[in-house]
Amino acid sequence: MHIIKHRFRGKKMAPAFNAFHTFLFTPDETTHSGGHVRAVDDLKRTMNTVIMALIPVLIFSFFNTGYQYYAAIDAANGVPRTVDLFGNFLTWENFWLGFTQVMPLVVVSYAVGLIVEFIFAVIKGHEVEEGYLVTGMLVPLIVPVDTPLWMLAVAVVFGVVIGKEVFGGTGMNILNPALTIRAFLFFAYPTWMSGDKVWVHQAVDRAGTPDAISGETILGSLAQNASYDYSVSDMFFGFIPGSVGETSAFLILIGGLFLIFSKIASWRIMLSAVIGALVMGLIFNGVVAQGWIGETSSFYGLMSFEFWKHLIVGGLAFGIVYMATDPVTGSQTNRGKWIYGFFIGFISVMIRVFNPAYPEGVFLAILLMNVFAPTIDHYVIQGNVKRRLKRLKTATILPKTTDGIAQELQAETA
Amino acid sequence: MLEHVELFFKSIFIDNMVFAVFLGMCSYLAVSKKVSTAVGLGAAVIFVLGVTVPLNWLLDQYLLQEGALTWLGEEYASYDLSFLSFILFIATIATMVQLVEIVVEKFSPSLYNSLGIFLPLIAVNCAILGGSLFMQAREIPSLGLAVNYGISSGIGWFLAILAIAAIREKIRYSKVPPPLRGLGITFIITGLMGIGFQSFGGMLTGGDEAAAEEQAVEVPATQQVEATPETYAPEADKTTTNPEDQTTKAAAEAGEAVSYNDLVKS
Repeated sequence: MHIIKHRFRGKKMAPAFNAFHTFLFTPDETTHSGGHVRAVDDLKRTMNTVIMALIPVLIFSFFNTGYQYYAAIDAANGVPRTVDLFGNFLTWENFWLGFTQVMPLVVVSYAVGLIVEFIFAVIKGHEVEEGYLVTGMLVPLIVPVDTPLWMLAVAVVFGVVIGKEVFGGTGMNILNPALTIRAFLFFAYPTWMSGDKVWVHQAVDRAGTPDAISGETILGSLAQNASYDYSVSDMFFGFIPGSVGETSAFLILIGGLFLIFSKIASWRIMLSAVIGALVMGLIFNGVVAQGWIGETSSFYGLMSFEFWKHLIVGGLAFGIVYMATDPVTGSQTNRGKWIYGFFIGFISVMIRVFNPAYPEGVFLAILLMNVFAPTIDHYVIQGNVKRRLKRLKTATILPKTTDGIAQELQAETA
Repeated sequence: MLEHVELFFKSIFIDNMVFAVFLGMCSYLAVSKKVSTAVGLGAAVIFVLGVTVPLNWLLDQYLLQEGALTWLGEEYASYDLSFLSFILFIATIATMVQLVEIVVEKFSPSLYNSLGIFLPLIAVNCAILGGSLFMQAREIPSLGLAVNYGISSGIGWFLAILAIAAIREKIRYSKVPPPLRGLGITFIITGLMGIGFQSFGGMLTGGDEAAAEEQAVEVPATQQVEATPETYAPEADKTTTNPEDQTTKAAAEAGEAVSYNDLVKS
């Protein structure tokens, strides 16, 4: 590897080989001039920390994919299952089925995304940036398990090129690339991304046959005012159908705490997003409690859903922890982060309730707030500037206590 | 009151002038380099829309519509002057823009200077004429609603230009590939922002539960949830925020936009 690296130094393909080298070994080069920033974490370390926080979610998704599949078959045969962690959840059978279904998504996401990154790095002649590492892991976790691989590949190319590279690569993008990919899939292939069939493996293939199995998410059932039979602990630990990695609020919580502890993600965004979601949920609960909305309304199911449960179903927890906290596309200022996070939670729940076409509105809410993040930052910064100018003004007026001197000074300067 | 809230929310977010119907793009693209200027222009658009839509509503009700002239006498009841709408609407708009220009020049010369040619150009801003024509096409029933519609469409446009101005200030530090710099990247951003605004597309109504109930009867949620290609396609066409459409559109328009840019400079 070293030899290859030195042979290609200065050549056009150099960035491609350098990237492999940096990935496998610690770089041996040191900067010789200019300013140095000494820090423990570089971009690669930051990205790896987020991936570490995602690993439990990924492993859980293997088991859950398998479990949901076999549970749905059992349910179709008239034998509803209850979760037994060691009895029927953490089994080799579940793991293997999930592994064979989820791993191809991960591999395709990384392969296609990194190829695009490499091509752009070679064309533009800069080093390959690590930005795709996290995106590549997030993408397979936020799509339904049966997403066709070619679809994923097309979406990844779109997301990386239009969402990121046209802005100049890692750290320059406006919208979160993983969410851009998700949104592309959602609007380009809606049948594969929403509905009641896509969330469990093979449910689409089996629809209409005697072997048909159901795979409705909780939010999907609620949007149709139907009932669901999952307990709160099922929701919290994630034994429910949903996108590959979004189901387990418990593991996401652990990942989130880890990210906060390692200071990679902003606790302000997470906290304010949770508050925002709770506030909106409370408002809707209040509306139902006041009797302003009847049971016949199509919003009743989601509106009467207890406000705190919004946090543990669907992708809200996953979005808040791993995607809203993206340091590039979120607000940069501390006060901005509060506003930004609050609106993410607020709008997510609002879309869930009011927009029956998308029972899962989290990714759209985050995209929308990504759009407005620079505006929020602008006004926060302007506010700070104004406040400081004011402070400056009051500070210069201070000599007024000794009026005579001030007048003398004025006379002199005049 | 309920229909006011609904219309207000709808025209700001769901039928956003920029992201849903792509109107008013010229000044949106040209004056969005700085937030302060964008705010000035946005405010002017809100004002002009808020004045012209109700004025044109009056014109439409008492002059242009079929049977609008009944107040002159029975023999005029069959007159239909709606073929004159374009001329009369644009005349009203031009007059109002002149008024705004005079007022802004008198009271805020700095804003007047920074807006430059684009203040008189509001007169030919398609969002303004579009506002009046949509008002006519959607048969907005009362003057109050027309005022509401004008102002809220203006606010929607204002939000759009504000957001893109802030984004453009931010990406000044990005390494955008040279061929895309300027209007090219702005078109791409607009497309991506459209995806963000798509979150409201298909939302039955906002903020108001009773109105929501009424509409819910018309469109059962189950139909929407299924979202088969057949049911989905018309919606996507209507809002034209399908990401694929948009990027191709953006790419196609980027070419034309360069020539427009030159035109402005010369």
